[in-house]
Amino acid sequence: MIGFVVRRLLQLLPVLLGASALIFAMIYAVPGGPVAVLVGENATEEQIALVTQQFGLDRPVVVQYRDWLLRALGGDLGQSLHSREPVLKLIAERLPATLQLAVAATAIGIALGIPVAVASALAQGTWLDRLLSGWSALALGVPTFWVGILLILLFAVELGLLPAASAYVPFWEDTWQALRHTILPALTLGLYVSGISARFLRGSLVSELASDYVRTARSKGLTERVIVQRHVLRNAMLPFITVVGIALAGCIGGAVVTESVFTYPGLGRLVVQAIGTRDYPLVQGAILVILIIYVLINLVVDLLYVYIDPRIEYG
Amino acid sequence: MTPPVLSIRSLTVTFFGSGQPVPAVRGVDLDVGEGEVLGIVGESGSGKSVTALAAAGLLPATARIAGSILLAGEDVVGADASTLRRLRGRDIGVVFQDPSTTLNPLLQVGRQITEGEVAHGRIRPSEAGMRAVSLLRAVDMADPENRARQYPHQFSGGMRQRAVIAMAMAGRPKLIIADEPTTALDVTVQAQVLDLIARRQRETGAAVVLITHDLGVVAEVAHRVAVMYAGRIVETGPVREIFARPLHPYTAALLRSAPRIDAGEGRLDPIPGQPPTPSELPPGCSFRPRCAIGSGRDRCAMEDPPLRAVAVGHWSACHFADEVRRPAAPARASTDVIAVENRGDAPPLLAVDDLAVHFPIRAGLFRRVVRTVRAVDGVSLRIAPGETLGLVGESGCGKTTTGRAIMGLVRATGGAISFDGQRIDGLARGALRAVRRQMQYVFQDPFSSLNPMLTVGEAVAEPLRIHGLYDAMGGERWIATLFDMVGLSIKVANRLPREFSGGQKQRIGITRALALRPKLLILDEPVASLDVSIQAQIVNLLEDLQRELGLAYLFIAHDLSVVRHVSHRVAVMYLGRIVEEGPKDQLYRTPVHPYTQALLSAVPAADPEAAQIRRRIILEGEIPNPAAPPAGCHFHPRCFRATDRCATEAPRLEPHPGLASRRACHHAGPLAADAAVPRRQATV
Amino acid sequence: MSEALRSGLRLVRRALSRPAPAVSVAYLMVLASAALLARPLGLDPLEEDVARMLEGPSWEHPFGTDELGRDILARAIFGARTSLTTAAGAVLLAAAIGVPMGLVAGFFGGWRDAVLMRLVDLLLALPGIMLALALIAVLGRSQAAALVAVGLTGVPTFARVARAQVLSLRRREFVLAVKAFGASPGYTLVRTVLPNAWSPILAQMIVLSSVAILLEAALAFLGVGIPPPTPSWGEMLRTGKEYLYDSPTYAVLPGLVLTLTILAFDTIGRALSAVLEGRDAPAGRPAGAAP
Repeated sequence: MIGFVVRRLLQLLPVLLGASALIFAMIYAVPGGPVAVLVGENATEEQIALVTQQFGLDRPVVVQYRDWLLRALGGDLGQSLHSREPVLKLIAERLPATLQLAVAATAIGIALGIPVAVASALAQGTWLDRLLSGWSALALGVPTFWVGILLILLFAVELGLLPAASAYVPFWEDTWQALRHTILPALTLGLYVSGISARFLRGSLVSELASDYVRTARSKGLTERVIVQRHVLRNAMLPFITVVGIALAGCIGGAVVTESVFTYPGLGRLVVQAIGTRDYPLVQGAILVILIIYVLINLVVDLLYVYIDPRIEYG
Repeated sequence: MTPPVLSIRSLTVTFFGSGQPVPAVRGVDLDVGEGEVLGIVGESGSGKSVTALAAAGLLPATARIAGSILLAGEDVVGADASTLRRLRGRDIGVVFQDPSTTLNPLLQVGRQITEGEVAHGRIRPSEAGMRAVSLLRAVDMADPENRARQYPHQFSGGMRQRAVIAMAMAGRPKLIIADEPTTALDVTVQAQVLDLIARRQRETGAAVVLITHDLGVVAEVAHRVAVMYAGRIVETGPVREIFARPLHPYTAALLRSAPRIDAGEGRLDPIPGQPPTPSELPPGCSFRPRCAIGSGRDRCAMEDPPLRAVAVGHWSACHFADEVRRPAAPARASTDVIAVENRGDAPPLLAVDDLAVHFPIRAGLFRRVVRTVRAVDGVSLRIAPGETLGLVGESGCGKTTTGRAIMGLVRATGGAISFDGQRIDGLARGALRAVRRQMQYVFQDPFSSLNPMLTVGEAVAEPLRIHGLYDAMGGERWIATLFDMVGLSIKVANRLPREFSGGQKQRIGITRALALRPKLLILDEPVASLDVSIQAQIVNLLEDLQRELGLAYLFIAHDLSVVRHVSHRVAVMYLGRIVEEGPKDQLYRTPVHPYTQALLSAVPAADPEAAQIRRRIILEGEIPNPAAPPAGCHFHPRCFRATDRCATEAPRLEPHPGLASRRACHHAGPLAADAAVPRRQATV
Repeated sequence: MSEALRSGLRLVRRALSRPAPAVSVAYLMVLASAALLARPLGLDPLEEDVARMLEGPSWEHPFGTDELGRDILARAIFGARTSLTTAAGAVLLAAAIGVPMGLVAGFFGGWRDAVLMRLVDLLLALPGIMLALALIAVLGRSQAAALVAVGLTGVPTFARVARAQVLSLRRREFVLAVKAFGASPGYTLVRTVLPNAWSPILAQMIVLSSVAILLEAALAFLGVGIPPPTPSWGEMLRTGKEYLYDSPTYAVLPGLVLTLTILAFDTIGRALSAVLEGRDAPAGRPAGAAP
């Protein structure tokens, strides 16, 4: 088992290296290069020379990348140009908020998506199926920022029940306030998640229901309930895990827009703000962290697959 | 007289979907008694599977059923869901065709076998484990304790089907429905499974409905036969009578058109046309368009004949049953010594020496080669101009790969291939092109061998265009000739492949291969996907073309009856090697390699008399994985003549003294007429 | 080759015969016409009328006015031009890069497949919006940058669809047959495989258009989209949100147009996919009831 984990990590290595190299190289694609980023556009020659030497920008690029990567792995992601604070600290402050939102949104999305998928698959082809599939399409297609705006309009502006701007309140500190602040963004993001999960799960349920082994189970005289529970749902477990993984990963990295709508202090918003202020070390650091989390979630999904599906070998 | 276990009266099944309703079954009456095996035979569109599935209430919601089905006295058609479940759980067991999809891949096999009994309260969950083991033992599964805890993907095809049989018979049902249970299996495994079904049926006294398109299977196993055509039973009666004295033109024609394993001479007598699609049935008798007796007779055109008794226990649905011609006794080859045609001095058209095709399996992080699949492991053969070499074997023997390697579709890893005196293995694509004009390939599946986006005229012309020879070969006139050669009118040339039937598409595939006027055709299972009556048409066509054009064929197939008919010489392959090769009649009459002997004895012959007295060699175990072949002689673990020498020393392909065959065996020799064949213990 | 086109058109006709896709097509045509005819008809998105700012819907300004007194409806229609052209450009870019990648990877296999699919994995290493943001960080704000950013996020989808199509076709015997006749790999790929593979790619292009529009609008909403004063839906939502208390309809109505456009493309794309996969037949095909 350990061997399998190590092997999968090694397989992911090229992607990690490649992506991190691209992230590192981002700073070089900017006009003026890293020097301009650090010093600004109207710099004197002396300033340029000074910065170049100070930050070792005259060394070969590969060497710089290696050093950057090594430092990053050691926890040093550099300093924010804007606030001079360590990048890692800024990210660490935002991470719990992002995680809380991601978990809440995924939970809501899956809780909404599963019943829709099951009902849809069992009623395949009927008006109910078409209605529910239309609903999923809606949930997927509507832009999250518009939904967010509508929700704010309704609950904050008109009804004044919930705050229009959500702050991060950890669940364990003050549950009620956390609920008040997290519910709207979580619903917004969760709607999207429910669309994806409903559509995906319906597809796998429909194909399982049409399989030969379901016909075999019927030929043994098993009840529909047992067939669905023991055969169909078990086989649908695999795609279910995939969906949860995708949803969670997507909510962590892709919640940028929702966070912006609700001015929620998450990682996504951090990236956007950093781009706005051309704070490249911060942009690089945040994207790197998101990348690592993304990859880890995929790895966990893979491991769960191996655990559940007897056809996949450890080797 | 005990009441029949299954009693069907006036059954009609119509499918309602988009478009016209499809009448799949149009009035079927049948009875199956205790301890009786009823074989339902038919081709595509006959309605045989639908009839049987209706008996189990397993048809989809789009099926509208009328008529009565009584199972052990209980009505199935009008039954509510819980009654149906009870009937299915207690009285019926179903064996489906494809064992790889019939079982749930994520549940242990033992659990799936006993699931039904537990659900219906016949055994307690705590007893289920032991029960699964004993059921697996009853179907000859080696090591049943471990096997019960394993998952389906760890079983081979034959083992899975045994597990499915164990599952179907778990509750000692009164009726077993077996829907093409052996079609997806190799011949030697088929023999095992049929044997098993027959034995278990005798042990439990169950009634069995066996659905198949294979007349040999019916002759082997069934007591009574029902022949179905276009949704109705056209003839039914005891198996011997049906085969010896069929009283319906379709049955007679079917028997005449099927190639026989025990007779390889003479032209096949095909049934013209093709089976009707259920949604487009002709008026009157549905067989009339293809019937030798009924064509031109008004009564057949207007009146659909009812099923009536024509002899004791024998019914036929034909207005002129008494005019049915008894099929001639199969032309058996003379028992004289076969004069080996002296082609020895003419140089062979195709010469293959020690051909090897190995596929590396890479695994792991660095994609190291962990195993090698030796699909072809030292094959040598010769084909003379105008001659047909039949290459037979079961799945995994490497026959298809051999054909593809010769054609250059797959890269050979060793050995030499010479065509018309010139070495062609290892040639670059450009040089190979010139050779490709002389050597062409006909594929198996007519449904995927034609480009759906090209008209059939364009498809046939495509090889000419690729070589830039369209005008040089005669342009449109040549295309018209090509169509004519296979019995198709040039007027259909601008239609798309999907507008043609399977048999027609195969003709198009054949004539496309002839476009460049090759000298050699490699045919890979050219008739395997076709109905029996259509197979005969194509086989005759191939023989005619060979005579007219002087073509040589490498005919690759697993159907030993067809190969016997078509070939001059036959080579038998097992796990990448040729085990025996020789003139066809000699090989079929006096095989000397134990595998050939077992293979030939496993093929069910369409002759119930012979089936009773024929002694069958049942091979144990299954074909080993080509990536891990046994050492020495590949066949030795399953061989009834194997000795220690066979496990270490691989025998070479050498001429057998006194015969014109070659064989690779240390203990080759004809089967003694009355010697007992010991059954080996299953080691796989 | 003409059969390939004809079969494609038949597919499209069948897909559009159902009510939902048909309505979507009608809506898109109305939108496109409005976008094309807007200027000749005298709608001006830039005309400011500070006296009448932040008004709600009225007869003269059906969508109301923004903070500079500009007509929101006019801006919304001009925004359609921006969104549709950027999305079209992005989808074409994604297809132009992704489809050849997928075709080569699927057809040749081996190291080409491994390398190309690693590149695809690389692009998928980040969530779409993050990738787009990273690219904008490098490329700056402009219409071209938005097009490239959105386009690159779409490359993996095309690469995978094309590759999957080729892999499934490669096993079909008619592809082997052409090889047996001595055709070159180029001929096989272009003349035999591609005509059979392009329909799902077309369907994917339509579906991806909806994603492209969404992504472009999202970038604009975040403030990194096409710079003002070019009207864009996302930008309008961004500004509209600030004036939510003053003029609720400011953000809502352009957002509605955006949503409808996204849904229209999505509906058409899914209808095409359904027809391709034969899913447009009514319920309950006889499963395994082969006679």
